[in-house]
Amino acid sequence: MTKGILVFAHNNRDIDYAKLALYSARLATEHLKLPVSLVTDTSTIEWMKECGTYDRSTELFDKILTVERPAPTNYRKLNDGKEPSRVLFTNQTRHKSFEITPYDKTLVIDADYLIFNDNLNAYWDLEQDVILAKNVYDLSGQDRFQYLDSYISETGIDLKWATTFMFTKNEKSKIFFETVKNILENNEIFSQIFRYNYMQFRNDIAFSVANHICNGFQEVSNYTLPAITVTLDKDKLVDVSNESATFLINDASGSRLGDYFACSVKNTNVHIMNKKSLERLVSRQI
Amino acid sequence: MNPEFQKALDFSKYQQTLNVKIQNLQDRAQSNLTLGYNGGLFLVDQTLIAFVKTLIDFKRIADVVLLDSNQKPILIADLNDFQTEILDRYFTVTNQYLEEYSQIKKQRSVEKLLDD
Repeated sequence: MTKGILVFAHNNRDIDYAKLALYSARLATEHLKLPVSLVTDTSTIEWMKECGTYDRSTELFDKILTVERPAPTNYRKLNDGKEPSRVLFTNQTRHKSFEITPYDKTLVIDADYLIFNDNLNAYWDLEQDVILAKNVYDLSGQDRFQYLDSYISETGIDLKWATTFMFTKNEKSKIFFETVKNILENNEIFSQIFRYNYMQFRNDIAFSVANHICNGFQEVSNYTLPAITVTLDKDKLVDVSNESATFLINDASGSRLGDYFACSVKNTNVHIMNKKSLERLVSRQI
Repeated sequence: MNPEFQKALDFSKYQQTLNVKIQNLQDRAQSNLTLGYNGGLFLVDQTLIAFVKTLIDFKRIADVVLLDSNQKPILIADLNDFQTEILDRYFTVTNQYLEEYSQIKKQRSVEKLLDD
């Protein structure tokens, strides 16, 4: 049974996700010792060729797989430290993981999820078709998350995270991904049934709803992937190596945005919400 | 600003960095103590180690069913092999935890904590 990792990257004018994917794939290969394939689109590949990262990508990635780029309709607010901006969010292809993966068992990670240890290897042999992450952990220890980071809405079901997920290619997982696709295509209707905000499409919500439906509309005690350690977009990544990352953390106890304290993590997987700061550092390393 | 108060604020920043480091170490140790075995997932802690030892003392060694961390029944063909694996994992992780914790406790500045 083959095992491998997928990373999705659809560039936009603000963020070079392909560059982030190149870096996260390098770390994943090094620590999990498994092949990594890139899922992207033709315009992103053209940009990779233009900026000189394509050759490196063909060496590093097991396969470079293309999907159709979705229409630019989904936007979100993202900070780079204390600087806010509104950026395109091209995340509507994640349900294609099932049909496009070349592996029997697949781990999917966000391009801004950095793997610094092999803990995820403990989950490959679990007898569960789809395994999602249930919890997030604020690296700062300040618990800066809100209610909507635990539930899809004020009256909704538990929120699962699509930052990392694992699946076995079989009929049951096919149903799961088809449900995610159905939610994507009928987001407004599902948002009324499950009472969430549909203005911005989030895979986390679509996966949570699909998981709930596929579990018989019940919360069941399935296996979940390890809690995702997160730094917020108000934080800044200032250094990264093969085994550690150093941050300036926005101090929630401080009176204003821009009050920071420093911290570092070693051998701990971490999701970097400040993609711009990751891109700056990665550019120097590729 | 009063220099004494500035000193307290500087110490507070150091303490924040230290707290994150220690919490991160704890989480990492906990995560490293999670063992995938025969299709199940086990948290290698004192309870599991003691229970496995008890079963072995009662000569229940071959084809033993254990409930994993998700309360799923997992068949363990040879409990001696399983015991060897969980003890190895436990001591590897806790020794590393102790070593890194001792290093961190010695550091007296934010810079040194970040370097460590």
